[in-house]
Amino acid sequence: MNLYYRRKQKALDRLFNGKIKIIDEETSVRLVGSCSTWDEKVAAGLLVAKSGSHIHLINDVQVANLPEEKISAPSESDMSLEGKTPDVLIIGGGVVGCAIARELSKNNLNILLIEKEYDVATQATSRSDGMIHPGIDIRPGLVKKIYNNRGNSLYPKLTEDLEVDFERTGQYLCFDNINLLPIAALSTFYYNATVAGHCKLIMRKKLKRLEPSISDDVKFALFFDGAGIVCPFNITIALAENAIENGAEIALSTIALSMECSKNLITGEHTITSVTTNRGTIYPKLVINAAGVFADEIAEMAHDRFFSIHPRKGTSLILDKKAKANINTIYSLISGRAKKHHSKGGGMVSTVHGNVLVGPDAVETALKEDYTTEAENLNGVLNKQRQIAPWMKHKDIIAYFSGIRAATYEEDFIVEKGRQTTNILHIAGIQSPGLTAAPALGLAAEELAVSILREHMKVEKNPNFNPKRSRIVQTVTMTPEERNQLIKNNPDYGQIICRCEEVSKGEILDAIRRPLKCTTLDGIKRRVRPTAGRCQGGFCGPNILKLISEETGIPMKEVVKGHEGSNILFGERGNEADE
Amino acid sequence: MRAAIYSLGKGGMRLMNRYDVVIIGGGPAGLSAAKAASSEGACVLLTEREQRLGGILKQCIHDGFGLIKYGEKLSGSEYASREIHALDDLDIDIRKLTFVSKITKHENTPYCFTIDLVSASGVETVAAKTIVLATGCRERTAKQIEIHGTRPAGVITAGSAQYYLNIMGQMPGKNCVILGSGDIGLIMARRLTIEGANVLGVYEAKSTPSGLRRNIYQCLDDYNIPLHLSKTVSKVHGKNRVEGVTIVDVDEQMKPVDGTEEYVPCDTLVLSVGLIPENELAESLGVEISQFTKGPVCDENYMTSVKGVFSCGNALHVNDLADYVSESGYAAGKAAANFINDSNDFSAEVKFSEDFLYAVPQRISSPDANLTLYFRSRYERGKTRLTVKSKDGVILTKHYHDLRPPEMEKLNFNISDAGLSSGDYIELIMEREY
Repeated sequence: MNLYYRRKQKALDRLFNGKIKIIDEETSVRLVGSCSTWDEKVAAGLLVAKSGSHIHLINDVQVANLPEEKISAPSESDMSLEGKTPDVLIIGGGVVGCAIARELSKNNLNILLIEKEYDVATQATSRSDGMIHPGIDIRPGLVKKIYNNRGNSLYPKLTEDLEVDFERTGQYLCFDNINLLPIAALSTFYYNATVAGHCKLIMRKKLKRLEPSISDDVKFALFFDGAGIVCPFNITIALAENAIENGAEIALSTIALSMECSKNLITGEHTITSVTTNRGTIYPKLVINAAGVFADEIAEMAHDRFFSIHPRKGTSLILDKKAKANINTIYSLISGRAKKHHSKGGGMVSTVHGNVLVGPDAVETALKEDYTTEAENLNGVLNKQRQIAPWMKHKDIIAYFSGIRAATYEEDFIVEKGRQTTNILHIAGIQSPGLTAAPALGLAAEELAVSILREHMKVEKNPNFNPKRSRIVQTVTMTPEERNQLIKNNPDYGQIICRCEEVSKGEILDAIRRPLKCTTLDGIKRRVRPTAGRCQGGFCGPNILKLISEETGIPMKEVVKGHEGSNILFGERGNEADE
Repeated sequence: MRAAIYSLGKGGMRLMNRYDVVIIGGGPAGLSAAKAASSEGACVLLTEREQRLGGILKQCIHDGFGLIKYGEKLSGSEYASREIHALDDLDIDIRKLTFVSKITKHENTPYCFTIDLVSASGVETVAAKTIVLATGCRERTAKQIEIHGTRPAGVITAGSAQYYLNIMGQMPGKNCVILGSGDIGLIMARRLTIEGANVLGVYEAKSTPSGLRRNIYQCLDDYNIPLHLSKTVSKVHGKNRVEGVTIVDVDEQMKPVDGTEEYVPCDTLVLSVGLIPENELAESLGVEISQFTKGPVCDENYMTSVKGVFSCGNALHVNDLADYVSESGYAAGKAAANFINDSNDFSAEVKFSEDFLYAVPQRISSPDANLTLYFRSRYERGKTRLTVKSKDGVILTKHYHDLRPPEMEKLNFNISDAGLSSGDYIELIMEREY
């Protein structure tokens, strides 16, 4: 064991009374033993792991009495995918998986993406704050630096092709301590060499003119023009739809349960021969692991687990549109006065939908799908951001939610071929700035995938590839003349179902009828925004449920909110005796 | 009698319908406003975003409506039907399935409002001399009262539950916990029980019920549904559908008391935690909103701080009886029809002590006004003497046996003897009587 690990072992021994041991496995390093809490396990992992290192840490430390987590998995099973032989099987329908599917569809390949939920973009992706980062706090040398900056530059063209709203709002990093001015002024040179876009210093007077709602305590700010905003659902759904239009197949409520591998006795390498799902066994040439918080478990199935994911939860809140008047861009505070507490990041983000998103914080958790919220996190986020946005009121909050980041102990992205398994690609450890990086990760995965596949087959370009995808019309943003014409052609666009967000029946029907079928209330909400407003679906929820049922033939009591088992209704009244 | 003007918009000359009064919302307030305005001879447009008139009354199949207005016990839908038929012989333009997307105020023209309407026949702009906002109210949501935990299906507002059950004929829950003792919550406790659901209890964070007394007797006591005061739901459990809720005791400051957590298994959490007047359109016009009612500040004619814009019904303040909603609608409609855009500068304030939750109207715009004043007490109290005073003396005294926040009270009086001048005020005071 090298000196570094021997030193770390000593530190571990001191902290954990010799209960945790380091095993150096050359391409990765493994922690074994036991400790009493999850936080201790994470602390041990972070102590040993080297930030950005390619030697990844596998944390196998046992924690006693951890609550058992029941992962949401589709209960239905059939044989609809049995015997399929896709060239590429992508596991995971988040923004990364969908970006990969879309980029791969530029080639004449048989592509299948599986996602265990009823829709794409339901887990980490849907809980992102929608920021396209300039990469302020990512140091050069990290894998994520490359993909952040590349992804950032791909967004304008991509969102134009896919007709997704994207705004280069820019971002203010604000300072309340004037003594930091010289350092900040110097740092613009560093930032201009390392971030996407440009950085410049702005003094208080000008800042107050540009963003009047920023706290008076702010003395100056660094402005990053490379920052932007996008809707995380819209971009993911657009990527998925475009992939489907170009020939890729997306199978929803489909979960990878196990894999069969063959082992090369000479090299010791594994090759995945089949992947068993709840819809039959699939025989892919190549598997791409884009499984988010489950990426380490998918790697394990493929005998290629060389990293661990430690889930990190963040809580964000959404303010009523009325609060949007206060903010045009993105801003956050570097406070020189408040004692630095652990919750890093977070800020005020003006979203493309005209709301304000506040947060998120960062809390380690043992649970990969624990999206519960707690009062203390909500108040923590609110109080922290009030330092810079003192106008924020409790009553402006219309919704709050939490998401789970898929962090590795190295806090960096993994974008590489399998280490022990020949036909898998890992696009793993994708936490912030995953949304920004996604287009670049899609391209990188395509390149790697094609080079692996070329060893076995001829890969040609897809001659029919169409990079364009058309959006669902949005009547509220149209001019009266355009809107009038649209309604004359189809009166459904003139019947407003959701009055908070002003969404018509026509738009809701469009959402249901798109290439990627959408049958859930949350799915409709993510596509065209009914129920996302201040009444949170109190008025229009029942009408949308009825539309889904009428349009798809799904009985009303089978229509779900988002996930399997999230049925809204129990059937017709008066039928109680049946059960 | 329809008038039309030409306007020069971006698209060139366009024919535009114009009205004396445009009423937004076809619930009981809007219906009465339309009747009153039309009876006064005004040219009236009534817009309704739903398919049918009647507003929330359509889904209120329980009785208790119309006691004041008709001297009978009607169901909400019967009451609505009477109000709708009251317009039968009047010449009123009624547009259903029509959504108001924008109102714009213009200066130096008698038709100083333009209203953008969206419907299946297209986008149309109409002009109006006055506007009556009868937009009703909406329910507070789980997020607004900060319930934490998971976000499963099965957390619904009482009004949505009522819609599912009474309009769609669908069961929204089987084992239900009801949070909040507002009237709709109490009504739904009974309604769900009648339909075979198991209502485990009604939980109220305050130490006194929020609903009308008659609803406590008729909806809970008669069906043996327990009412738990000073308790609230702190957390929702269940990943996909509600599996249970955590109930906690709350102290006088409404803060949860540690160690009192109790888990109640259920599949549905019905919320009846308050109503908020809908005033997004009012706000877009710059109408001043009262922090007490969450509705516009208005004068004795129901005119808001923006001249020519009137407010009534639950959009003005949340009423507990539809009869009062109709009453304010009628008065607002009548005043809108008779509105003259003059430069009346008289303004006196209606002040009230901390004992009041609110009083409406908040302003008086004539020294000899006949006032219909609605108020609620902030606290439950026994024998009380209420005095209306001007700086020169007492205008009115009234004695109450008791006063409760859920029960709105009404006063009628004339202020001409008080000799008010502009800038003066009248004051409402409560005193305990022995």
